[in-house]
Amino acid sequence: MSEFALEIKALSHVFGSYRVLDNINLQVLPGQIVAVVGPSGCGKSTLLKAILGTDPPTHGDILTDGMPVRGPTRNVGIVYQNYALYDFMSAERNVGFGLKMDETTMWMRFLQPRKYLAKRRGHIQKSLEFLRVVGLADACGKYPREMSGGMRQRVAVAQAFIMRPKIVLLDEPFGALDEAMREDLQIMLLRFYQENLIAKKEGRRPQYTILMVTHELNEAIYVADRVIGLSRFHTDGDQGAAIVYDRPCPVFHPDDPRDFSKFVEQREELRKAVFDENFIKDRNKYVTFWKDLGALANSVAGL
Amino acid sequence: MIRRTIPPWLFWLLAIGGVAVLLGSYEMVSARQTRINPLQSTIPSFEKLGEGLKQIFRPQGLPENPKPPMFWVDMRATLWRLFMGMGFGVAASIVVGVLMGAYRWIEAPLGPVVMFLSKVPPTAMMPIYFALVGTDQKMFTSMVALGIFFSMTQSIYQAVRQDVSDEAINKAYTLGASEFEIIYEVIWKQILPKIIDGVRLQIGPAMVFLLAAEMVVGNAGLGYQIRMQSRILNMSIVYVYLAILAFVGLIAEWGLATMRKKLCPWYVD
Repeated sequence: MSEFALEIKALSHVFGSYRVLDNINLQVLPGQIVAVVGPSGCGKSTLLKAILGTDPPTHGDILTDGMPVRGPTRNVGIVYQNYALYDFMSAERNVGFGLKMDETTMWMRFLQPRKYLAKRRGHIQKSLEFLRVVGLADACGKYPREMSGGMRQRVAVAQAFIMRPKIVLLDEPFGALDEAMREDLQIMLLRFYQENLIAKKEGRRPQYTILMVTHELNEAIYVADRVIGLSRFHTDGDQGAAIVYDRPCPVFHPDDPRDFSKFVEQREELRKAVFDENFIKDRNKYVTFWKDLGALANSVAGL
Repeated sequence: MIRRTIPPWLFWLLAIGGVAVLLGSYEMVSARQTRINPLQSTIPSFEKLGEGLKQIFRPQGLPENPKPPMFWVDMRATLWRLFMGMGFGVAASIVVGVLMGAYRWIEAPLGPVVMFLSKVPPTAMMPIYFALVGTDQKMFTSMVALGIFFSMTQSIYQAVRQDVSDEAINKAYTLGASEFEIIYEVIWKQILPKIIDGVRLQIGPAMVFLLAAEMVVGNAGLGYQIRMQSRILNMSIVYVYLAILAFVGLIAEWGLATMRKKLCPWYVD
């Protein structure tokens, strides 16, 4: 088992003669919630598709838990903005779909009904558990069209995490939801983070590792424990977008008040470093996550 | 005002009124025609239509050697041809349409061909079928099958492209599905209601091809009988057959709609 849930080495992506991404290097630890922000068209989706494996990068390597990504597999989960649930399955079947694909075969489904049904009961049981985790215990029999946007997105989250992938990609997950729904779902992610902390304390490998693309800076800092900015506004920006910002950020407890004033400074710094086209700097100026983490560890050790 | 609702009693009154006006004016025209020519059979009265209805259910041939009634012979011939033709046509178009929607390298060579051939009216192709497959059951089957195949393939292919998003497919991969599982568990199940609706919509055209062919080369079948009886101006049987055709269409429509509701309760149009 690798130390990193996700590792990107010297990734660049070129469309024809246009260089979108330039020399992206990134390591994500298990249990981290990483937010990715950046101006539109900076290559966030390209990066996400590369990690997912549907559109491999033109240069560089991507490893999930030490294994190279060679196409979309169950190592990487995905939650889309448009939910992409299967219309013909109820919530519990949507959530259990991955288990069915994983633990049964076509052969078994058609020709060994007894064996299959026994498995199936287990899957439904487990998907009910996950629906409870995302707060949808009552909606198990509902079809996607009978659910609100927020409920559908909870199903999609459960559907991805039930497979225990190495990392789950959230692509603008709450962009289509109204404010109240969005807050609920953000708090749900914070609860996942708390479970990660408990797991770490007990020496288990945390099970919720998330890379979340968002255009909301507040959401990025509020939900994530690490924010990454992707942008072309650096000294060799014509070479393509690079990671120009990578810093830890405050972790909120789900029951804490949503006090955004706590991170006003960081928000401003992030906005300037990633979104201000007149602020051209060395690409590594704000890429200090590992140094900051080291300093943090030292200060904790020094106490 | 456009689309203003009307009370249900008024709706039903008007609906029944529409049918009553149709039947009443038919009876009037028929009675008028009979006054001019008491032996006329082009616009038979309801009484004569009733006789026609009895006649088609009466055993044919001599009493000591009875043959099955005309209706059974024709109905069996036509329904069997329709069933076989649609069965082959629908099955083939599902395979080709789904594969075209799933794989670019199948879509590329077949797309233009299917598009072009779906524009040739199948009834105009009849002489080609006569020449290539003769005039027996094989000919009816292949004619109905090919007649619906191209447009049905087109619509299934489009349903796959439109109703199954790239996201849904990519996600299925991340949930551990194989390619074959994606085709069966995701694509097939998602477009099943569209396929059933497609079959429902194709019954009409299939009937047109089949009846046209039966009128030209059949030796039994609803189309054949309609043409034969109209030649001897036996309109009481022709009209009864037309009404039966309408009922067959209604029953098929209802059956497929019910099937869709049962198999795809999640689907609303």
